[in-house]
Amino acid sequence: MKETRVMLEFADDPAQRTLEGYRGNGGYQALEKALKEMKPDDVTEEVVKSGLRGRGGAGFPTGRKWKFVPKGNEKPKYIAVNADESEPGTCKDRVIMEQDPHQMLEGTLLAAYAVGATTAYVYIRGEYMECIATVEKAIEEARAANLVGKNILGTDFSCDIWVHPGAGAYICGEETALLTSLEGNRGYPRIKPPFPAVEGLWRCPTVVNNVETLACVTHIIKRGGPWFASLGCEGSTGTRLFGISGHVKRPGVYELECGKGTLREVIETFAGGTLSGRPIQGVFPGGSSFQVLKGDELDVRFDIDSVAKAGSSLGSGAIAVFDDSVRAVDVALNVAEFYAHESCGQCTPCREGADWVRNMLQRFADGEARKGDIELLMDVTDKMNGTTICALAVAIVFPIQSFLRKFRPEFEACIAKVTA
Amino acid sequence: MTVEEARGTFSPELVARVEEMAKRYPHRKAALIPAMHFIQAERGGWFSDETIRDTAALFGVPDMHVRGIVGFYDMFHDAPVGKHVVRLCKTLSCHLRGAAKLREHIRERYGVGNGETTADGAFTFKCFECLGHCANAPMMLVDDRKCLDLTVEKLDEILGGLR
Repeated sequence: MKETRVMLEFADDPAQRTLEGYRGNGGYQALEKALKEMKPDDVTEEVVKSGLRGRGGAGFPTGRKWKFVPKGNEKPKYIAVNADESEPGTCKDRVIMEQDPHQMLEGTLLAAYAVGATTAYVYIRGEYMECIATVEKAIEEARAANLVGKNILGTDFSCDIWVHPGAGAYICGEETALLTSLEGNRGYPRIKPPFPAVEGLWRCPTVVNNVETLACVTHIIKRGGPWFASLGCEGSTGTRLFGISGHVKRPGVYELECGKGTLREVIETFAGGTLSGRPIQGVFPGGSSFQVLKGDELDVRFDIDSVAKAGSSLGSGAIAVFDDSVRAVDVALNVAEFYAHESCGQCTPCREGADWVRNMLQRFADGEARKGDIELLMDVTDKMNGTTICALAVAIVFPIQSFLRKFRPEFEACIAKVTA
Repeated sequence: MTVEEARGTFSPELVARVEEMAKRYPHRKAALIPAMHFIQAERGGWFSDETIRDTAALFGVPDMHVRGIVGFYDMFHDAPVGKHVVRLCKTLSCHLRGAAKLREHIRERYGVGNGETTADGAFTFKCFECLGHCANAPMMLVDDRKCLDLTVEKLDEILGGLR
């Protein structure tokens, strides 16, 4: 196995951050090609052909999402770039924004052209100060070169792009919460339908796409949908960025084709296995919102559908590895603390449930759990499943229930010997 | 307070910046959160009742709306902070690579727990959820400076130099 660098091809070259450097390496050729040789629908069709699925976590087919946008110009249309990367273990959109921001902007313009949007907002989490500065600078450079703004490249296509900084709330990465936040509110998710493609920002059609997804669009239009589809494997086409972190020898962000090996091989080959040389106890293959896989469950083929069949998800490209030097109970508690802090508080099962789950796991970690607490935790999490507006509650249910099932003896060992 | 009166409570530079930002959106309120970063910086790093009132008036929204934003988003402060703000990531990958030890060290050496400010006012310490540098764990932000692959020694070098 080795890396296939498409998005990261020039990432190590500091000049790539500038418009001049980016153009020198073929940048904005895809936009020029689209505006001068393709109709908007052709761009969408090319993305459909590529098999591109969203890189933010849900893996929804991008072309299909774009097709939900109604035709006609009764209302303005918007692109919202989801750069609120906050899923634990995920650190790859940041690499694109810091090292090669123009490919994301070019993809954003292509998406805008495809669906007829005239304004795009890049919602970057507030803690990504360097990204905010780099992307703002890139936009200004592009604007000065007539690549952003009115009559782009002398055509009748116009689109403005603005950076919109967030202010620290994981939930704003949820697409409807992102929109609510962008409108100037607490980031509360909205009930779907209506989906953002039909009713998004200010109740106008809005496409919400992840940073990496839009970077892929640039390469798809430049080199063709079939070329992209020839990379990776069926259901997981193209290349994807994966952050590998935790107890590994070489943590980092790697660009890989899916389907070329197993999850274990990915961890061994790129991250060099565990730093301690101790056995892997567990892995989150796609962020902490999905089920943990045990050390003996890692021989699953590394692609979206295979990992889903194995009962977890490639999610947002965040492989977090822990060896047996840490207690599974403590990892579960850390995960629960995160979601308890980040629940927006709108839905009772999530607001109250997340806190209960966190507190109960603290009892386990302190060795003071009571008889029946495992069953109680399963029951509480069952009642959070499917009873809320957004998926944050299931992002607690999935990992915590998987810990309780897979590491049950460890949890049982935390039940106090004498209980009242 | 009118919008005009609210403008008078901020520096002309800030007002100009906010007005320029507001033009990017069909509705002025959308510029509120981005603007609040600049407002917080100009008003000493936190939102007092007075700052909340001025901000609300500047955007034509109720005070309670701004208060709700301050409470919801972790980057806004509702109490005075030190000269610098130190945000230590405590989530999964950083946790696995020793963030808890750093937190303990900060408590012992600098006498501050989560949300507290050092006695000399040099910095306010906050434990943050995932800051997105998982491959460089553990890490922290000192104001807008990233401090990656931290060890206790590195941490002391950085925090010891804060004035």
